[in-house]
Amino acid sequence: MSMWINRIDTHILPINFQYHAPKTLEEALKLLAEYGDEAKILSGGTDLLVKMKQRLIEPRHIISLRNLTELRGIREVEGGIHIGAATKLREIERSQIIAERLPLLHEAVKAIGSIQIRNMGTIGGNLCNASPAADSAVALMALGAELHAQSIEGERIIPIENFFKGPGATALKPVELLTAIRIPPPPENYGWAFRKIGRTSLDIATVNAAVLLTLRGGRIDLCRIALGAVAPTPVRAVRAEEHLRGREPTPELIQEASELVVEDISPITDVRGTAEYRVEASKALVRDALNLSIERAGGGGR
Amino acid sequence: MRQSFRFIGRSTPRMDGVAKVTGREIYASDIYLPDMLYARVLKSPYPHARVKHIDVSGAERLGAVVVTYRDVPDVVYCPRLVSTPEATYKDWRVLTGKPLYVGDPIAAVAAESEELAQRALEAIEVEFEVLEPSFDPLESMRPGKPLLHERIRYMGEEVEVENNIACTMEIEQGDVERGFEEADVVLEREYRTNRRYHCQLEPKTAVVRPEPGGGVTIWTTTQSIHNTRLLIHEIFGIPVGKINVVKTALGGAFGSSIQTNIVVPIAVALALKARKPVRLAYTREEDLHEHCAYQMIFRLKLGARRDGRLTAGSLEAILDIGAHQIQAYPLLGCLVGWWVSLYKLPNLRYVGKAVYTNKVPSCAMRGYGNPQITWAVESLMDELAEELGLDPLEFKLLNHVGLGDLFWGQGPTVKSIIKSSGVEELVRRGARLIGWDKRPKPGAQRGRYRRGIGFGRGFHTSSAGAPVPGTVVDYTGAMLKVNEDGTLDYVTAMMDCGGGTLTAHAKIIAEEIGVPLECVNIVRADTQTTLYDVCTHASRGVYAGGAAALQVAREVKRKLLELAARVLDAYPHALKIRPDEERGQGVIYVEGVEGREITIGELASMARHKNWGTIAAVASVRQGSCPPHFTAYFVEVEVDTETGKVRPIRVVAGADVGRVINPKLAEGQIHGGFAMGWSMALLEDTPYDPRSGDLLNKGFITDYKLPTARDLPPLEDFQVFFVETEEPTGPFGAKGLGEGALNPVAGAIANAIYNAIGVRFYELPITPDKILKALKGGERR
Repeated sequence: MSMWINRIDTHILPINFQYHAPKTLEEALKLLAEYGDEAKILSGGTDLLVKMKQRLIEPRHIISLRNLTELRGIREVEGGIHIGAATKLREIERSQIIAERLPLLHEAVKAIGSIQIRNMGTIGGNLCNASPAADSAVALMALGAELHAQSIEGERIIPIENFFKGPGATALKPVELLTAIRIPPPPENYGWAFRKIGRTSLDIATVNAAVLLTLRGGRIDLCRIALGAVAPTPVRAVRAEEHLRGREPTPELIQEASELVVEDISPITDVRGTAEYRVEASKALVRDALNLSIERAGGGGR
Repeated sequence: MRQSFRFIGRSTPRMDGVAKVTGREIYASDIYLPDMLYARVLKSPYPHARVKHIDVSGAERLGAVVVTYRDVPDVVYCPRLVSTPEATYKDWRVLTGKPLYVGDPIAAVAAESEELAQRALEAIEVEFEVLEPSFDPLESMRPGKPLLHERIRYMGEEVEVENNIACTMEIEQGDVERGFEEADVVLEREYRTNRRYHCQLEPKTAVVRPEPGGGVTIWTTTQSIHNTRLLIHEIFGIPVGKINVVKTALGGAFGSSIQTNIVVPIAVALALKARKPVRLAYTREEDLHEHCAYQMIFRLKLGARRDGRLTAGSLEAILDIGAHQIQAYPLLGCLVGWWVSLYKLPNLRYVGKAVYTNKVPSCAMRGYGNPQITWAVESLMDELAEELGLDPLEFKLLNHVGLGDLFWGQGPTVKSIIKSSGVEELVRRGARLIGWDKRPKPGAQRGRYRRGIGFGRGFHTSSAGAPVPGTVVDYTGAMLKVNEDGTLDYVTAMMDCGGGTLTAHAKIIAEEIGVPLECVNIVRADTQTTLYDVCTHASRGVYAGGAAALQVAREVKRKLLELAARVLDAYPHALKIRPDEERGQGVIYVEGVEGREITIGELASMARHKNWGTIAAVASVRQGSCPPHFTAYFVEVEVDTETGKVRPIRVVAGADVGRVINPKLAEGQIHGGFAMGWSMALLEDTPYDPRSGDLLNKGFITDYKLPTARDLPPLEDFQVFFVETEEPTGPFGAKGLGEGALNPVAGAIANAIYNAIGVRFYELPITPDKILKALKGGERR
């Protein structure tokens, strides 16, 4: 008998679990090694607790990152900008480094939820939740970010392209913890744009898009286009990127490229929008984002 | 001649404002009592089923008190008691063995903590026989479809239900066929509204304490403490005097607590069995499974002559009421009333049907069917004007129901003559402010972003008052007494839904007597210490409730002057009272005679020492009229033809609410009304998942979107103006406002979208998806 409706009581967390608050990263990794699949990481809790209240997951162990200050903070390092995985979204939004060096990420993070949500939620949580609609994910994809994962065995670096495996699924092994995001320095004179459509201005994206590009001699050189909420994971619009590379950004070309977006997406119909709508909105968002990026790269735009 | 007032017409802070913004206001959900148990409700996971077997032993083993549908009184009732028995069909039980929607309560548990109650709930085992559901009223009506209710009750008798039709109403005036023959243009369209959820801030809650001697004390989210009391009496047979419903602040309702919410009888049943206080507070998800607005399908036909005169109208309305009637029959009456009170129809025919479906029960929601029908009528009038080559403003003004006309304030049994109207001025001034003449030609624009201006007008009743009784209960009691220091205790059962109603009453009292506003103390009352008040609904709080406040104020003033006349050696009718802010008192004085004065505090104190008794008054007041308040909206929108998103650019909103009591709060009603209308036009719906039979969003508000401040026009682009009229029957000339502030909004927005892109939509909400599809298809009817 489907008694789903009687298993939900959002006043409380109606499940039993053991709560751990390790003092060091090492301790956290040990706990993960011990409990693996049975454990969930609690960072900001804005997705985890909701899922627990909805009884979508019932972890036996919760490992909180609250004491792990080493997983927080934003700093410039050799090879780019380092963001601790447990850094609050609000801290990223208010960071001068991010605003100046990575305005694309700044804008994407600002689009996530409300201030209250961003005060709690973390960048690592937004990625590990692996929602196809995650606003930070498309921005980090366009920026070519690398994700640092650790286990007691050691560290490995996962390019963000390879990180998402499906709704709610990532490349992390059950014993691995996302510790940091490393973003390489963007190229000189690049153009960028982030665009999002939701039902209201406080919503999960129906579609979102991020673009990063450069121009060389009036032609598009580097070009990355990422889209969210139109496939099981955030995706790159590879065909559109290829079509643009090495060409002069005329309105016709941008129109063609935006039409090509369809090749790389596979949207579904859900409560936020229909598949047909997502196709049309994707084209419009990519067209807008490309135009704005070209303008910002000094190409004058359309 | 314009009177000058001290308090009326000036913006004053709401009296409950500080308590609310500092978090110190007490709502039903703030009530915790010693020894209290926490309750949880076992809800049906199926949209239509029969309980074959229920085993609650697991819950009882955990120490929970359990009630099931077998333990509650065998009473069939209607939870809404606003209309009289002649207009009431009954089909509710406290708990049911034959659930009719996902979420229908079957059993309930109470335990020492919410956690334990939840565990107990999950330990209950139920076996269901699953029945065929219906999610669409047209499908429900098909012969041979399983009946949700085979028999329901009416006036103490059982009546059979045919084809799931809960109730019907038919009205015909004049000769409709001839009327349409006389018309030069006849348009007929089908409209389908959305199924909205009230999304009031406070989810439904009841806290019930059993009292020695068999009584109960109840704290709950309600718009009517007295109707709550009467319903509990009807179901449980407890003498009325032993049921005390205590007023707490209400965190909004928008009509969803006109009826007594299901949490109340369930909590009473549990508390009586447990012999302990029980608290049943619904989660937001449960609240979404408790109530919603009526979804309506209209077939609307209007005919007009070339000169712009309407000749006939016909309206067929099918109401999807969900699983139960919450007085759907009076709504069928109100619906035709709203329809015929917009524009004069010399010949008309109306057929209204309320139909059961296996969905959450529908109830009143701000406007009680008026926003729905006004959207359809304002859309069709716009179309008709275009066909006739007339300006919609002139066409509507020519035909509008106005001064001296008969107005249907609450269906066919509640009518009165309109004695105040600012309609013409609302339309003319609004048109000037928005720049109506400069609006584009529909569909003429070609760019990506297209702007359009739309107009919608409307009204709502103020109360269900009328010169004759009718089938709607509408009266209010009030008490006012002068305290020994000159302050006043004002006692009323009327609830403040959050609109500042009781602050308005205090202003009326202060104005009438002549005391500083702070002298009026609004008492936290209950059913045992108040006179009956029907309910805070139908935009009656200021107009009908305020009339009771005014009457007791007048009486108290008369008594004050009589006593003061003795003391001051003057004639009562020659005395005046002025509010003395410095002394924080009203001062009674003899005009023109220096020094001959006494404060109300001194007088009241003297009355005590001399044993003259308490200066007080009590009244129960019925308004003999239901005057409409009028509104007009001019909205400019911008449509992004590539994403289908609609953005508000500018709003001009005018209202005739009679005399404005509190301008800032009145403006707030308009802002809120627009936000709700914007949301109705473009965003809200609660679709069902036909596979599970549950709401598609499963009750999660994450997927029930309302506009935020960022989605609405900034206030500098939102112009509100009032056309003040003097309603002769209203307190200080005032009428209502709450519902009229919403009713025409969706129509104005739909007309603005048409003006921008040349496409009309006949189904709400108008989503970006629908807009893109329509633009792609080049659809233009």
